Amino acid sequence: MRRHSLASGLGTDQRRMLLNAMSYGLLILAIVIVSLPILWMLTVSVRPNLEVMRIPPSWIPAHFTLASYGKILTNPRYIVVFLNTIFISLFVTFLSLFLGALAAYALARFNFMGQRVVLMFLIITQMFPLILLCIPYFRVFVMLGLYDTRTSLIIVYLTFTLPFCILMLRSYFMNISPAMEEAAMVDGCTRMGAIFRILVPVSYPAFIGAGLYAFLLAWNEFLFAMVLVEAWENRVLTMAIYSLMAEFVTDWSGMMAFSMLASLPLVVAFILLQKFMVQGMTAGALTS
Amino acid sequence: MISFRQRYRQELLALSFLWPSLVILVALLVYPLAEVIRLSFYDSNLMTETWAGLANYRRLSGDPLFWQAFWQTVLFTFFSVAFHLVIGLALALLLNMRINSLFQSLARGMLIVPWLLAPTVAGMIWVLMLAPFGVINGMLNGLGLIDAGTTISWLGDPSTALGSVTAMNVWRAFPFFMVMLLAGLQAVPRELYEAAEIDGASLARQFWHITLPQLRGVITTIVLLDSIWTFRAFDPVFVMTGGGPAHASEVLPTVIYFDGFQKLDFGYASAQAVVMFVVLFVVSAFYMRRSMSTAG
Repeated sequence: MRRHSLASGLGTDQRRMLLNAMSYGLLILAIVIVSLPILWMLTVSVRPNLEVMRIPPSWIPAHFTLASYGKILTNPRYIVVFLNTIFISLFVTFLSLFLGALAAYALARFNFMGQRVVLMFLIITQMFPLILLCIPYFRVFVMLGLYDTRTSLIIVYLTFTLPFCILMLRSYFMNISPAMEEAAMVDGCTRMGAIFRILVPVSYPAFIGAGLYAFLLAWNEFLFAMVLVEAWENRVLTMAIYSLMAEFVTDWSGMMAFSMLASLPLVVAFILLQKFMVQGMTAGALTS
Repeated sequence: MISFRQRYRQELLALSFLWPSLVILVALLVYPLAEVIRLSFYDSNLMTETWAGLANYRRLSGDPLFWQAFWQTVLFTFFSVAFHLVIGLALALLLNMRINSLFQSLARGMLIVPWLLAPTVAGMIWVLMLAPFGVINGMLNGLGLIDAGTTISWLGDPSTALGSVTAMNVWRAFPFFMVMLLAGLQAVPRELYEAAEIDGASLARQFWHITLPQLRGVITTIVLLDSIWTFRAFDPVFVMTGGGPAHASEVLPTVIYFDGFQKLDFGYASAQAVVMFVVLFVVSAFYMRRSMSTAG
């Protein structure tokens, strides 16, 4: 019996206990290693900048101070950047979910000529090199007078949030029986009414999952934000952080406080809604 | 006689819901692609355009910087994806052990955090940590792995720059693999393992003969997706090294960016972008075949 077992001296239960103890140990080790850069960001953000370049570096700040956070939160220049990012990400998310729900409904509920072509197109859009798109976007937005506006960012962020939302909502809709919508339409509800009063509410996990992912992509985008926006009052967080690196050359404490504040909203949202996010990631990548 | 409206009822209904998204996506993706292909045959800055035929492509084929960036992109992609897979799979297997479910979701939550950070933020943290005065040199000194007092300029040395950017990218994006593979593992029927255990199969054999074959579909999909995403990634390299020193960490997106937006040589940048698109398209074709056969 159990000729192949690694620890044949031990019983099955003992072996399992040993394995479990090892899993806990290795996972805790992994968490520590993976969290080091995040802890470093935190610890640098709460020390005076003079301490940052001290050799050897220390994990515990000699002087604890929240001055860097105060400096950022009281400066209207930085507040504007936060508000821009929140506004643009929310707008893009809601637009993608609204348009995505309509398109996903069509793809899930009707059987029509060209359906496969549309699906193929949606999958291919996720493969586009964004740097390729930058060239024509820049030229067209300059021509249209949309260069250096927040509107331009809202428009171009749809290139990656919209296809993703359509595909994910479609796969969720396909698992919901159309019976309820049909019954509502027999009772005199319009098709739009049936979608927004019946299908959308029962699909809320997919909307939260897709919405969070779209929000994350928009919040973290950098290339378009750099190419299409110039003036400080139109900038978003990622671009502001990048330009601060040059400006602040030595103020690492301020940079890390800024990075903490820029990351915090996403981390909190995702920890609270972990379940939906995992569903979203899984469904988004597998699309089927 | 069936009227047009009746004959194409499904198509018309579908179109009435699809058109806003389709119009937006065609305008944002199909038109720009056509425009870039057109531009690649021109000599163009912002103001002027003159027909150049294949000159941009001829220039590209003999441009050592383009090919250096091309191979560096391949290396960056290969090592990023390989480490994402190994680390992601190892952690997914650990999370899938019979451990306390509260600890499991706590551990998963903490391990996901790097993936939530903007590549810009993640890159910035690593720039600070990799600096000569940074904590990575500090830790290596402390552990005696490098001589006390010496410092390595990880991002300033051509031999370590690309590797350092890759390390950051491995750290930032492995959680995607971990989450996807954990979902895959949880879908493997428990009975398969129970049967194997009754037959006395060791854990290693169970892994090779049950776990891996069951995960094959998920692994293929995420490896293809991640290869595409990493191949086109701009932010990590641009933020951490700007492609330097001496182009040692240059990748295709950064080369195209500098030619297009610093030198305003849009024709040449477009030609390089078209080549990059073709490469991505070939990889995508494999991904498409997978997705379409399951999405149907």
